[in-house]
Amino acid sequence: MKKPIISGDTITIPSSQEYLTDVDVFIEGILRGYGADESVIADVAISVSELVNNAILHGNRSSDVKTVKVTIARNSKDISITVVDEGQGFNPDDIEDPLADENLLKEAGRGIFIVRSLMDDVDIYEDNGGTAIKITKSIG
Amino acid sequence: MRLSDREQDGIIVLEPKGKIMGGPDASLLHDKLYEFIEQDKKKVVIDLSQVDWMNSTGLGILISGYTTLRNTNGELKLASVTDKIQSLLTITKLVTVFEAYDTVDEAVESFK
Repeated sequence: MKKPIISGDTITIPSSQEYLTDVDVFIEGILRGYGADESVIADVAISVSELVNNAILHGNRSSDVKTVKVTIARNSKDISITVVDEGQGFNPDDIEDPLADENLLKEAGRGIFIVRSLMDDVDIYEDNGGTAIKITKSIG
Repeated sequence: MRLSDREQDGIIVLEPKGKIMGGPDASLLHDKLYEFIEQDKKKVVIDLSQVDWMNSTGLGILISGYTTLRNTNGELKLASVTDKIQSLLTITKLVTVFEAYDTVDEAVESFK
C-alpha cells in the first residue's frame, strides 16, 4: 500500500507518520460535518493522532507491508473512532504512570494517558491478530 | 506545522504554527531547537499562540528542549500558551515544569 485509501467512514494508511495529516483532515472534516464544537474536535484529533502514532510505531513498527485502519461512527449523542493495527498487541497495565515524579521529564509515555483523559471511554481489544482501540466522545 | 524563528533582545523566539502531531513536522521543531543549542544560543522562548494543538509528541519535544537547555546552563520558556495546550500541560503535570508567560515580551523580559 503506497498511499491512504478512504472508503466511506474509514481511512486506511501505510505505516508511516507522513500520513498523520491525512488522517487528521479526514477525521476533523467528518466531525465538522457532524456539527461538533471545535474543542471536542481538537480533543478527538489529539487522541486519534496519539493512537495512530502508536499503531504505526509500536504496533506495526513502521512495517511497509502493514497498515493502520481508522473508522469513525456516530450515534445520536456520541462519536466513536476505532484505530486498528497489525501488531502484536500490548498490555495497557504495563504502561508506567506518566505523572510519577521519576517519569515526569520522560519524553515519551504519555499518549494513552492523554487519550484516557480527553475521551469519555477507551476500549482496547484484539482484532484479527492486531490491536484495536475504540475511543468514544459525547458530541451532544 | 510551519515554523519561523527570530531573535528578540538576544533571546531566540521560535514560532510554530498549526498542529504538532508527530512525524516530519515535529522533527522540524526538534531540529531547529537543537540547531540553536549547537550555536550556543541557549535562551529560548517558544511562542505557542498559533499552535492549534499538540499531542504527546509535541510535549516530548518541549521536554527534550527544556532538559537539554537546563543541562547546558540554558533555559526554555513558553509564551502565549493556548487553552487547549494549557489543559494538556495541566493533566500531564507538566505545568509544574515549564515557566510560562502570557506574552512573548514578558517571557523575553524574564531573562533579564
